[in-house]
Amino acid sequence: MTKKYLRMTLNERLQHINLAVNFTLLVITGFALSYSTAFWVSPITDLPMGMTFRGFLHRLCGVATVFLGGYHLLYLAFTPRGRGIVKDMIPGLQDAKDLLETLKNNFFINRPAKELKMPRFNFREKLEYLGLIWGTIVMTVTGFILWFKTEWLQFFPLWAWDVARAIHFYEAILATLTIIVWHFYSVIFNPDIYPMSWAWITGDLTEHEMKEEHGLELEKIKAREKGELKEFGEAAAVGGGRVYAIRREKIEKEGGKPLSLRGFYGIVQRFNETIKNWKGT
Amino acid sequence: MKWREDGSKAWMCLWGVLPVFLVLGLVLGWMAGVAWSDNSLCFGCHKDESLTKQDARGKSISLFVSEPGVKNSVHGKLSCWDCHTHIKDDKHAEGGQKAADKKVNCASCHEKADKEYQQGLHSKMIMKGMERAANCYDCHGEHNILPSKNNKSMTHVSNIDKTCNRCHGDAVFVKEHALGAALPKEEFRKSVHGKTGEITCTNCHGSHSLRSLIDPKSTIFRSNIPQTCGVCHPDITKQFTESVHGVLAARGRSDSPTCTTCHGFHGIKAKVDPDSPVNERRIALTTCPQCHAAERISKEYKITTTPVSSYYDSFHGLSYRGGDTFSANCASCHGVHDIQPSSNPKSMIHKDNLQKTCGNCHPRASENFAKGKIHVVASIKGEEFGEKVVGWVRIIYILLIVAVIGGLTFFNFMDWLRKTIDRVH
Repeated sequence: MTKKYLRMTLNERLQHINLAVNFTLLVITGFALSYSTAFWVSPITDLPMGMTFRGFLHRLCGVATVFLGGYHLLYLAFTPRGRGIVKDMIPGLQDAKDLLETLKNNFFINRPAKELKMPRFNFREKLEYLGLIWGTIVMTVTGFILWFKTEWLQFFPLWAWDVARAIHFYEAILATLTIIVWHFYSVIFNPDIYPMSWAWITGDLTEHEMKEEHGLELEKIKAREKGELKEFGEAAAVGGGRVYAIRREKIEKEGGKPLSLRGFYGIVQRFNETIKNWKGT
Repeated sequence: MKWREDGSKAWMCLWGVLPVFLVLGLVLGWMAGVAWSDNSLCFGCHKDESLTKQDARGKSISLFVSEPGVKNSVHGKLSCWDCHTHIKDDKHAEGGQKAADKKVNCASCHEKADKEYQQGLHSKMIMKGMERAANCYDCHGEHNILPSKNNKSMTHVSNIDKTCNRCHGDAVFVKEHALGAALPKEEFRKSVHGKTGEITCTNCHGSHSLRSLIDPKSTIFRSNIPQTCGVCHPDITKQFTESVHGVLAARGRSDSPTCTTCHGFHGIKAKVDPDSPVNERRIALTTCPQCHAAERISKEYKITTTPVSSYYDSFHGLSYRGGDTFSANCASCHGVHDIQPSSNPKSMIHKDNLQKTCGNCHPRASENFAKGKIHVVASIKGEEFGEKVVGWVRIIYILLIVAVIGGLTFFNFMDWLRKTIDRVH
């Protein structure tokens, strides 16, 4: 078994799944209003009170996302791991250089392609995370304006509400397309990753994946493990981030084989191969 | 006087004889009357079901008359020749003289009905030589006429539609007489009026004086329709005739709607019926936009199609189109029969009434709430400041989306390409 490196603690994975579900529901219930006659909206519009339900669900998910954002802020502020994330998430000059080198690689200016050593959060991830924060703030503010129109219209003219509505709509398009184009490429369609990065479920990356995407971080960890750097380790993460990994190690120690999604994927793949190569009896 | 003076009593015998003659005459007269009014003379021949004659074209016509039919009819006590005053025929001319041929003339008794009928469409069509235009007997029957209160009568309220549909429910007839292929039969039966069983064709079209659609005196002439409907719906007609639509319709504007423009004709349905054009699900999709989204009308009356298109893009319109019945439609703000232009102080959308109108759904609507322009079109060339701002936001965001998403897509594509090529080598 190859060595695994913790990428997301259980707490972070739950936050991610929470956001993924809420975001998807917000996208569906939101665009179901903008394109209320489109074919894919018919499951909602065919329901009695479907549109009312849609509006309720949209607000509910919005509130859930806001609470999740609040929780995430607390997590960042009051856990050592969270503070570490903030520290590693600050964009710097190195990120610009990484971007430039990646472009040079991709346009075959660097021949052969230079191997880049990315930090814990590479420029792709920093861009996406900061974009997500920006989008959440914009959507929350405009969303609440749209929701509490009577209160808003006590002090502001109607056109300001219209502006909020326009921003909410176009920001939604921007956010949705960013997730599809940027995030899904990072974690699904990237040829190095395909069919999917399992970190959002298993919580860890393989050494190979670490080397590909976060070479610098890998070197740091290895150096730390050798005792050159004696800071707090990943194992000290608050929230029991190691729970899954410890369990896995325990099972392995006892001689069992841990149930892994990757293993399951392998079973499916082998089954497919068997079917493909089947010549009849 | 002389014989009186004579004192002769001979004349007195007359006093004795005269009453005898009188009584005899009365008895004979009564007997003759009975003999004629029971029409046994006529029925002697005409009760034969096989009795026929040849008409001028050599076509065989049945001359059978059902005796109980006549007896039970409203005219049962009349004699045959009260109606058949002159019968030109060798067989009947035994008296020597052949009278001039005259058809049965109902007008000799039913003067008023005939006068009305003469002004109506059916009689005019007959005068024009149309063969299948309704005469008295086409609707009332011939020998078996029953009073219209009798539920077996052809003109009883429950049977009138069947009577009319003998011609107007016949697709061939309708086509031949260029009645626009309109077969009101089924439509009407399913309508809210047809279902009552008390409203029928004649309530709107009139009976004897039924007139053509283009006759200004007709009950169904365009500008008379509100009055026709108002017979049963007087309050609504009053509201409508005072509304902007009603005033224009009364002045003969054919573009202005009248009752039927929104409610339909024969197939009028209750507004809770999803098929009704005034159902809340259809009112803002088809009913109002049939005129207010029509280029021809909006240009002529300078009302523009903007209200409809901007409504569809608004929150109200988007939610409405998705089936939300809580969301405002046209009528929620503009009213129904009593629609007035915003300049009219009675109008729901007059600036003094807007807060109340918005407040119907948004109970805490402030004064400021109702101040903004509602039917806005986001455009940098917009009339209002707000429209321009939204227009600019739109343009900036679209440019941003194209730049950002385009950039990300391009970056990822190059990344994918390089990695794929690297793999191959």
